[in-house]
Amino acid sequence: MSRNNHRGRGRRRPQRHKDVLHTQGGHRANDFRCVSCRLDVSLDAPGTAHRNHCPNCLASLHVDRKIPGDRDADCRGRMEALGMSVRTDGEWMIIHQCASCGELSANRIAGDDSPLALVRLALRPLADPQRAGRALLTL
Amino acid sequence: MSSHTSTNINTLGVSTFACAWCGLTVSAYAADGAPRNHCPSCLHSQHVLDHVEGGPSDCEGRMSPIAIAVLRTGDWMVIHRCVRCDELTSNPVCTDDNQLILMRMAVRPLAQPPFPLEAFGTL
Repeated sequence: MSRNNHRGRGRRRPQRHKDVLHTQGGHRANDFRCVSCRLDVSLDAPGTAHRNHCPNCLASLHVDRKIPGDRDADCRGRMEALGMSVRTDGEWMIIHQCASCGELSANRIAGDDSPLALVRLALRPLADPQRAGRALLTL
Repeated sequence: MSSHTSTNINTLGVSTFACAWCGLTVSAYAADGAPRNHCPSCLHSQHVLDHVEGGPSDCEGRMSPIAIAVLRTGDWMVIHRCVRCDELTSNPVCTDDNQLILMRMAVRPLAQPPFPLEAFGTL
């Protein structure tokens, strides 16, 4: 019965040809989606050759081991921004800590990182008035 | 145990180490009994523990403090970077650590912001 029905409808219609592929090798081949806030991020960032963290929430992914871009780490854990460091030339660096294995890494900020997230991260040690006040009193 | 190899026990029975940066002789344990891993005067440390694989490290480079991190509990951690192999470690601050250097590292990003901070006044 069902076979007769099937034959009656004929062969399945072939899929329509897609000239824009949204996944592997398509126009979004180099993009990534942030593991923390799910924002779609393109890889070309102003001011840096290696985009390694989300410009919205500053979270990263543990994929590189020593050299930026080597994709050598097996962890793939989410790396959260832990603190802000400053190079001697005045450039801000974000210290990331892997939530899975605890590894630390330092990354340059990019030109389109959210200034609010950056300043919130830089002000985090001073946010607790009791701790910061005690430090200032002992000076 | 201290993370300094040069820990030795002197005639008083107090284990000490010499700071790799300022040369200060520091007791290996703080006043509250917590083991020290950096100099309380200049906050420099020495890379003698391998934090990736565990156990002793053969680098023994000087580690300079580069940043302050805050845990969820509100405690401050000092982020050290090895000047020889660029390894990063985080260590809890001691109560007698130099507050001037700690505070200087905490406010350092605000001294040279990459964008004008005046815009945040309107938020």
